[in-house]
Amino acid sequence: MTAPRIDLPGAQSAGRRIAPPTLWDPVVRLTHWGIAASVLLNALVTGGGSLIHVSLGWLVMALLLMRLVWGALGPSEARFSAFPPNPLSALRHLRDMMRGSQRDYPSHNPAGAIMAYAFWATLAVVTLTGLVMTGGATPMQVASDKAAVASGDWSALIREGGDDAGESPLGEAAEEVHEVAANLLLLLAALHVAGVFVESRAMRRNLVAPMLLGERRK
Amino acid sequence: MISGPDIQSAGRRQTVALSVFLLVQTLGTVFFVGDVIGDLREDPTSVHFIFEAMVTAALVLGILFGSFALRRTIELLRAQEQALDVARGALGAVIDAQFQAWALTPAERDVAFLALKGLDVAEIAEMRSAAQGTVRAQLTRIYAKAGVSGRAQFAAFFVEDLLGEGVPAPA
Repeated sequence: MTAPRIDLPGAQSAGRRIAPPTLWDPVVRLTHWGIAASVLLNALVTGGGSLIHVSLGWLVMALLLMRLVWGALGPSEARFSAFPPNPLSALRHLRDMMRGSQRDYPSHNPAGAIMAYAFWATLAVVTLTGLVMTGGATPMQVASDKAAVASGDWSALIREGGDDAGESPLGEAAEEVHEVAANLLLLLAALHVAGVFVESRAMRRNLVAPMLLGERRK
Repeated sequence: MISGPDIQSAGRRQTVALSVFLLVQTLGTVFFVGDVIGDLREDPTSVHFIFEAMVTAALVLGILFGSFALRRTIELLRAQEQALDVARGALGAVIDAQFQAWALTPAERDVAFLALKGLDVAEIAEMRSAAQGTVRAQLTRIYAKAGVSGRAQFAAFFVEDLLGEGVPAPA
């Protein structure tokens, strides 16, 4: 960041930016809103174990994997190295904000970074326990099982319950963890929205626009 | 960052489309991998499974290369936008945006502009009716935020975009 700029034309001038991006790249935006919508739908609307619940769970898994790959391969502000998880600097940032003397960061601020990692860890727990509960069945398998049961072939239930779901201790533990983690996700989401609101007010900067379509420019 | 609305929005649409495609690809791969793991439990030694494992590897590699290519596209777009801004003579806007990116305060921005125009500390202090020590401190902060060693490098930061060519190696 402090290196003088002597790079050749065409080379990406890394570290030029100190303020956060005015528009996040499409992968960040797509995964952000895709996960937000899927989590809200699965937590509040769809019934657990239903085909749409399982499908959205798989969608979240894909979105999460994509974001994690992007964290290694994406442009500088989307990479993990731009927002390392550091609880101490997160606390320092919150303290600075209380005093109204916060500085700018090239990516997520340290508190936002901790929030992102907390989200990803919780999402991983929710999807993995979800996979345990369904015995790893893909939505296609869930659909065909349901269709088989509906047509009177109850043998599908044996495969569904036989593995490790249902009454086994592992299945019950997974169900318990799945619910707790899902509630934790909603709590995190509420905290996240509150944080964005407070931060936007404190910095007099719209933090939502860069995650949507960017700010309108004259 | 600022100019070239057509090129910019076309580029944005392209990267958004690529991202959506990458998501569909990832979704397909995740489903396929889930299916393969299901097969694995049934018969891991079959030719069928080995073939599917190879397809899976190809899909995963495709996502990795796709991500990398998308990153390159995004970076190239940003570099082009910046080059275009400079070429169109929007240097003032570029400087403004850069000052904003460095998070200069309004006072620091004024001082930085005057410094770029070639005024020395005494002249800047007079123009802003401020003490020379204040201006010097502001300049130090500006150079620190910009990550440059001093005034010459600070001015060169913006001129360099116009020059385009790299520094020729000494003969």
